[in-house]
Amino acid sequence: MNTRYSDKNPIGLRVLTTAGKVLILGVASVFTAFPFLWMVISSLKTKADILNTDVFFPPDPQWQNITGILFDSPIPRYIFNSAWVSLVIVAIQIVSGAMLAYALVFLKFRTRKILFAIVMATYMLPVAATYIPSYIILADMGLLDSFGGLIISSTVSIFGIFLLRQAFMQLPKGLVEAARMDGASHWRALWGIVCPMTKASFITFGLMNFISTYNNYMWPSLITKTSDYFLVSQGLRAFFVRDGAYGTEWALVMAASAVVVIPLLILFAFTQKWFINGIGGETGMKG
Amino acid sequence: MAEIILKNITKEYENGFQAVKNVNLEIGDNEFVILVGPSGCGKSTTLRMIAGLEDISDGDLLIDGERMNDVAPQNRNIAMVFQNYALYPHMSVYQNIAYSLKIQKVPKAEIDKRVHEVAKSLGLEELLDRRPGQLSGGQKQRVAMGRAIIRHPKVFLMDEPLSNLDAKLRGQMRVEIADLYQRLNTTFIYVTHDQTEAMTLGTRIVVMRDGEIQQIDSPANLFNFPCNKFVAGFIGTPAMNFFDVTCEEENGEVILRTNGGKIRMNAEKTQKLKAGGWIGKKLLAGIRPEHVVVADSPEKTVFSGKVSVYELLGSNAIVYSDTDAGRIIMNTSQLEEHTHDSDIRLGVMEERIHIFDPETERTVTN
Repeated sequence: MNTRYSDKNPIGLRVLTTAGKVLILGVASVFTAFPFLWMVISSLKTKADILNTDVFFPPDPQWQNITGILFDSPIPRYIFNSAWVSLVIVAIQIVSGAMLAYALVFLKFRTRKILFAIVMATYMLPVAATYIPSYIILADMGLLDSFGGLIISSTVSIFGIFLLRQAFMQLPKGLVEAARMDGASHWRALWGIVCPMTKASFITFGLMNFISTYNNYMWPSLITKTSDYFLVSQGLRAFFVRDGAYGTEWALVMAASAVVVIPLLILFAFTQKWFINGIGGETGMKG
Repeated sequence: MAEIILKNITKEYENGFQAVKNVNLEIGDNEFVILVGPSGCGKSTTLRMIAGLEDISDGDLLIDGERMNDVAPQNRNIAMVFQNYALYPHMSVYQNIAYSLKIQKVPKAEIDKRVHEVAKSLGLEELLDRRPGQLSGGQKQRVAMGRAIIRHPKVFLMDEPLSNLDAKLRGQMRVEIADLYQRLNTTFIYVTHDQTEAMTLGTRIVVMRDGEIQQIDSPANLFNFPCNKFVAGFIGTPAMNFFDVTCEEENGEVILRTNGGKIRMNAEKTQKLKAGGWIGKKLLAGIRPEHVVVADSPEKTVFSGKVSVYELLGSNAIVYSDTDAGRIIMNTSQLEEHTHDSDIRLGVMEERIHIFDPETERTVTN
């Protein structure tokens, strides 16, 4: 016998449940979005208005704060540095991560399980613990204070290897075997068969690592000291100290922060469909 | 066009389990060889070793005289059709079929020509733009075959290609594979656990069990001259009836005595039983359901019992009887109905009896 949903749940209770969900999500959204909105609004205020709690929306938006950041500050250069360094790092991480994940899933070799355990164990290691050895290695290679040093020290992403491995494991092994029988090398099977079928995970991997590399502060600030090599976070700090005059020019600092976020917002707008699929575990495989 | 030789091939996994044990097999040019056996007998592993998808733990694999153990699958010029089709879901039927040629960097015009030829021969022309997800099981199977055919490989490997299809389609595709074999004139190695497929398609059948080859022979010889009880029981539907007998000499004649009667041995069987020293000993006898008959006299009765199940299949009927020798199955073209629990007396075609050593289960005489 079918019991109708509404029989079990009176309409009043359903309205109440929905209202509760909306309230919780609404509060969480406000908490998440408010600092961002505040930053954007503050970037259009005057120096005087910014600390005046009576004024929330600027009566006279100061657009010159934004144009000043865009045309008369080093911020665009930091954005450019961050963007291209992140792009190169992510490209290398995708290639290295996909190759290792492919080997872990589709190749048979004795040390496969141990290798994966070692890789995952390094994920447990606090990042700070790797700073000193990494610094010494880069110093020995003469790569301190250079884009090369920034790139070469981030060529492998354990998170990415794990994410891709999980996605590859969802694929039938027969597909790779069929590709091998069709004459494809492992390299070709990876990029021609496996990659298109796990596109969502690749995009998620790329996007998440792009964002974290783009925003990375601690490590780049340890190995670079010339402003020509600054990434955005480090650049913002330098801007805060120099042009923001240690917080006295909050409006400019806010404008710089808002400008810095724009590339990430654009990126997210184009890739959010894949991003959410990838997080949800969808591999994009049909049939 | 290829000759394949497996010399003492063994597959041992890391945990020490031997999936294939010391297999020796020679497959000639243009043969259609079937590897058949129950689940876990090592037939698919053997096929995958020939394909290069599994490493060979020991022994040599020779294709046209060349040792192929360490040659990568893509360099063996072998095509394979998989049980689950393994079509690339993100590619169209056209792209699936063309994939191997694209890898070989064949010119586009040539690829196009060959894809259309193959599609025409397999009735896939209307489906070239579709994705695998939009195809039925039979169509997917055809695409998988098209993908294999287009390369003109030396050898076709097929790993239970029909097991995902329904019975009707399976029969239809079986005919198509037989037709394909005639047209392509190349070597086929086909794995199945379905002995109907094995009997109808193969020029030679390799029966495997627990990683070992039991018998390699033509379908007719496997049916008529099985080398042991396993092969005798595995080949043929319904399966062969087995029952205990005692070999005796009576009035100068050698007979097999059952609980309810006796079976006279002809001169050839008599000689083999005597030579083997089986007189006075217990043996295991087998008779195919096709060779069981209704006894028309008490002297010809070998089994007495009651009918358990009567199945009319159209041109023939299967009668399951519970007798003094256990369950005996008769496959008869005499369609008189046997009702449940009615008395039945059964005899056998004496010259078609198979006799096995009860300990080793090896054939004493067929």
